[in-house]
Amino acid sequence: MAATPDNVLEDRQAPMPAVIAVEHLHKAYGATVAVDDVSFSVRAGEIFGVLGRNGAGKTTTVECLSGLRVPDGGSLDVLGLDPQEDRRELHERVGVQLQQSALPPKIRVGEAVELYASFYRRPADGDRLLGVLGLDTKRGSYFRDLSGGQKQRLSIVLALIGQPEIAILDELTTGLDPEARRETWGLIEDVRDSGVTIVLVTHLMEEAERLCDRVALIDHGKVIALGPPTHLGEQAATSKRVRLRASDQLPDEVLEALPEVSAVEHHGPDLVVIGSGNLVTVVVLAFDRAGLVAEDVRTETSTLEDAFLALTDAADADATAGGLKR
Amino acid sequence: MSAPVAASLPSRRRAYRMLVLTELRQAWRTPVYLIPAVGLPVLLLVVFGSIPSLTQPSKTFGGISFFTIYTPTLMVLVLMLLGLLSLPSQMASYREQGVLRRMSTTPVPASALLGAQVAVNILFAVVSIALILGVGAGAFNLALPVQFGWFVLSLALAVAAMFGIGLCIAAFAASPRVSNVIAGALFYPLAFFSGMYGPLTVYPGVVGRIAKWAPTGAAFNALHASLGGTSPAGRRSGCSSPTRSCSAQSPSVGSAGTSSDPTAGAETSSLCSR
Repeated sequence: MAATPDNVLEDRQAPMPAVIAVEHLHKAYGATVAVDDVSFSVRAGEIFGVLGRNGAGKTTTVECLSGLRVPDGGSLDVLGLDPQEDRRELHERVGVQLQQSALPPKIRVGEAVELYASFYRRPADGDRLLGVLGLDTKRGSYFRDLSGGQKQRLSIVLALIGQPEIAILDELTTGLDPEARRETWGLIEDVRDSGVTIVLVTHLMEEAERLCDRVALIDHGKVIALGPPTHLGEQAATSKRVRLRASDQLPDEVLEALPEVSAVEHHGPDLVVIGSGNLVTVVVLAFDRAGLVAEDVRTETSTLEDAFLALTDAADADATAGGLKR
Repeated sequence: MSAPVAASLPSRRRAYRMLVLTELRQAWRTPVYLIPAVGLPVLLLVVFGSIPSLTQPSKTFGGISFFTIYTPTLMVLVLMLLGLLSLPSQMASYREQGVLRRMSTTPVPASALLGAQVAVNILFAVVSIALILGVGAGAFNLALPVQFGWFVLSLALAVAAMFGIGLCIAAFAASPRVSNVIAGALFYPLAFFSGMYGPLTVYPGVVGRIAKWAPTGAAFNALHASLGGTSPAGRRSGCSSPTRSCSAQSPSVGSAGTSSDPTAGAETSSLCSR
């Protein structure tokens, strides 16, 4: 495909055995294409991130992997199983935590763990898992009385209760406060260290960078970048934002023609220029050449989130030209 | 797929047991339907049974008492509360909360939860109807079903009818609000045909004929006949199999009135009233 980055090809020649192989996955809901063309593979023992904005197609991708949705096209291989044909066996060996999935409000923590343990052939020791995840004192509490972080930890327990080889965790830390989030990250690393391969779906660049060995960045249903998160991080470090107000409109094309500029955005009366290098000087000079005055110029610290957005925006712009801007 | 499934059958039985146990606990902790379905009919039975005029044979009802003729209606009410309201509402809230979605990621399909819900609601129906019979017989001289086999069969068919409607609602209701609106709209006409607002025997021709074919009317007729000692199929030679339509037609105690079969009425009243 046009947007296939080079490192996708490198990735396929990886020496580690792949436990998940996704090839040209395609899924549409009516006229809406949720997943256009997604290919990646996950190696045994890694934390693999599926990264993207809301609505990029991440959840649909993992729902297909989990056997919950039937793909329209492409092929899926999870532990040598077909997620549709071998659903039951797949669910024995792959633990899944999905968004918007929950428990009845008045089930006790201990009961939920015992119930879910009964679903599997070789369940883990539920008490031990609750202890590892710091929920042993909550065994008698109703699900509805748990805090957000405790609910997420319980959902990790339930995803792991069948002693899975792979755990798929979708937006696990969404809605958690920073402390609970960091705590959860530590737990996920512990789970990986115990030998479980993890597929982590997230829209948080920071989370991906902290946890993942490799990530697939998905946008508009396509993989636009694939590799270790440091690749994306490096790009983040060089990305800068300059916010200003101009005395008069300068056509975007003039700024976009500058080699340092990667994107131009309009936020109300403000103009935000995203790019790299000596961005402030270049932009102010461009206004000066056009006989305009750039007022109220501020540089904004480039957050990882911004870089992430810039990267996906760049992919949007380059979708027709082909190739990921690096 | 075959080998692993066969190997895991014992664990699946255990999973079903655990699911039923969990559903029982849930119903006990949030008894929004359990209390009305088990408490309300018995309460009504006690109220009606305590009013002397209602336990006397009445010509209006074909020579049997209002109390006797209302007992099967209370049983149909139990099944309506559990099958039509409780079951689909519970399943819809599980769907809304994401419980079904959570379960469908495990080796045990979400349909097992549906099975557990049906089992638990049937259990409550049995308990509630046993209470009606027990309290009725113990305190108000209600005759226990003479045709016990026919009674059980009638009950099973009535459960199938009410729970069938409930499962249809559960199939497409996205939330308990939707489920309750649909069930509420069906509840009143179905309650009417079960005789809740007045025994079916007093309804004139057309309404009586509809009642025979309405699920609740048919259930009432079959339960009434088997409770009163007239087997649903026994009095019509044409009926060889105890299907619902047959059960619905046979008890002429229902809408055909007293004139066609006075002996049945007299027989029933002698069995059922003091």
